[in-house]
Amino acid sequence: MKKLIGIVGTNSATSTNRQLLQCMQHHFQKDATIELMEIQNLPMFNKPTADKLPDIITEMAAKIEAADGVIISTAEYDHSAPAALINALDWLSYGIYPFVDKPVMVTGASYGALGSSRAQAQLRQVLDAPELHAMIMPSSEFLLGNSLSAFTEDGALKDTDIIEKLDGIFADFLVFVDIAQQLKNAHDANKKAAADFDWDKIR
Amino acid sequence: MKLLGIVGSAAEESYNRQLLQYIEKEFANQFDFELIEVKDLPMFDESNDQTQSVAIQNLNRKILKADGVIIATPEHNHTVTPALKSLIEWLSFKIHPLATKPVMIVGASFYDQGTSRAQLHLRQILDSPGVNAIVMPGNEFLLGNVKKAFDEFGNLKDEKTRAFLQSNLQKFLKFISVVSKLDDAPEQLPDEDLQAKGSVATTIPDVNMSSDHWVEEAAAKVHPVKGDTYVQLDHGILTVNQIDELLKSMPFEITLVDGNNQFLYFNHTSESASMFAHRKPEQVGNPIGDCHPARAYNHVKQVISMLRAGKLDVFRMPVPHGPGKYVVHNYQALHDTEGNYAGINEYILDFQPIIDWYLKKTGKELTGGNVDAVSGASKKDNTEKTDAVPGASKKVSRQQPDAISGASEKAAPVKPDVDAVSGASKKD
Ligand SMILES: Cc1cc2nc3c(=O)[nH]c(=O)nc-3n(C[C@H](O)[C@H](O)[C@H](O)COP(=O)(O)O)c2cc1C
Ligand SMILES: Cc1cc2nc3c(=O)[nH]c(=O)nc-3n(C[C@H](O)[C@H](O)[C@H](O)COP(=O)(O)O)c2cc1C
Repeated sequence: MKKLIGIVGTNSATSTNRQLLQCMQHHFQKDATIELMEIQNLPMFNKPTADKLPDIITEMAAKIEAADGVIISTAEYDHSAPAALINALDWLSYGIYPFVDKPVMVTGASYGALGSSRAQAQLRQVLDAPELHAMIMPSSEFLLGNSLSAFTEDGALKDTDIIEKLDGIFADFLVFVDIAQQLKNAHDANKKAAADFDWDKIR
Repeated sequence: MKLLGIVGSAAEESYNRQLLQYIEKEFANQFDFELIEVKDLPMFDESNDQTQSVAIQNLNRKILKADGVIIATPEHNHTVTPALKSLIEWLSFKIHPLATKPVMIVGASFYDQGTSRAQLHLRQILDSPGVNAIVMPGNEFLLGNVKKAFDEFGNLKDEKTRAFLQSNLQKFLKFISVVSKLDDAPEQLPDEDLQAKGSVATTIPDVNMSSDHWVEEAAAKVHPVKGDTYVQLDHGILTVNQIDELLKSMPFEITLVDGNNQFLYFNHTSESASMFAHRKPEQVGNPIGDCHPARAYNHVKQVISMLRAGKLDVFRMPVPHGPGKYVVHNYQALHDTEGNYAGINEYILDFQPIIDWYLKKTGKELTGGNVDAVSGASKKDNTEKTDAVPGASKKVSRQQPDAISGASEKAAPVKPDVDAVSGASKKD
């Protein structure tokens, strides 16, 4: 069974994105284990000059490294991903490269009708940056709009159309994870490229 | 014109900070520029609202009163820094100071293409309804290869880059004036009560403000500490006597007026007649209306209302005191820790000894322009590019601590003729 990490893309104590991941965790328990990862209480990224990263960051990196794939469910603040999520990704690409070639599925929930579409679009560009270099599942947008009223009391999605859509995308993601395994020929080179990458040296 | 620069980097060493510092220095005579930092601000957290914190409120106040904002963004992973994004989230949650504010985006990066993607993201962010800033279209100031861009004095090396920055800033100033025309009629600032009929939290009630013995009468009410009693300050511990000694040693005359327009204090450095402003102990406690002639009321009201509204931080006015002097009355707004207006520190300072001292120490000369008329400094026929008066005086003010102590050695108070600003007291 596949081991996945579900990153809660907000630091808010109450979050419909957390609810969405919890719902997926339960709904897909026969197909995969999804461990939720929180990004609360991380220090603000400030390009520290010391070599040593905070322990919490290295622990998160190790879990991502060990996982078959990652689901990131992003909230949308001001048409982009929350600072807390960008912060986590900056730490997780600062001298460590757990996301390189990691299969990633992007989801998102928002209070309004659009379901964090703009935050997701920006997040995809972020994950594509050279020091993250994730393998983002293409052509697969999962947007949960009106998220405050999307769940039943026991945390299941109410709308059967939406469940169907999620089922389809998640099944595809499991296949994508397998395909990604086969795309690993260049992995060592990619990893090295990320580690050697220097914003100074490109033109 | 008052502009605010936001340093979008939380790093200790930041090229984006350096870029804004360069703008601050280089364009000092075109606009007022204040830098604010995103480092050390708390991470935005919807479930732990810190909108009311001093740090966020101070930024809120500064942004509200700025005519325009320049944001310098680094690029991390193709987007803006978490620290910058976090600030914008605070400023779009319970408060919206950036709404309809003209904003210009600049960015410095190690890389050629640098910050182009972050700048695009930032535009989208600033354009979202919760932020609703008015971002200047079209211009993209990308400072690539930034590690090689500055010389040892923090100046941009490349002349074309300097010219491009200059033209972008000119456009931004125009953009601001166009945007401000979109606003409704200019706001009317509330009238000022120069008779201090209201009160503030620190007003001592039931004492006749016009009394010649206000200090004694007020003291009988509140029993202020004095003499060798210790007082704790930000930051240190002094006795009341030490505070008095400190204030009297200042090379300028200070007057404090509170938020209720009541004259509460001056540093009594010498006899009334030999001070630039002829303050007398009996005047303390007066409403400031009593310290100014009626003909000056409108002007005084205008200055105070602008300081109170945060349209100005300081208003400076040169007042002639005869040859060999350049006496300036500075009306500096006071704020409490929450950033609320708390009154005025009026300090009166003769700049001439500072300028003389600076010129002597650096071997520089004031040349060009109508130097004589301004400062009485030596005139020199000269067509070469110079540190004309504005540039020079700017540097002087940056050197203040040293320059002032130098000045005090020399600045013997001489009997002034008039005190045009405060006017003669009615009691005079
Ligand atoms: C500062 C701030 C900005 C927001 N901006 C957006 C936005 O641009 N688009 C949107 O759909 N919701 C916005 N929201 C509302 C919700 O927080 C957002 O829909 C979020 O994705 C809900 O996710 P959550 O339940 O996991 O917190 C904003 C909220 C805050 C506090
Ligand atoms: C985690 C991380 C990611 C970065 N990603 C980018 C990037 O995507 N594009 C880029 O031009 N520079 C990138 N850089 C280097 C930046 O050019 C540089 O840190 C920044 O723009 C310089 O601004 P500052 O000196 O004001 O912090 C990255 C740096 C870090 C630490």
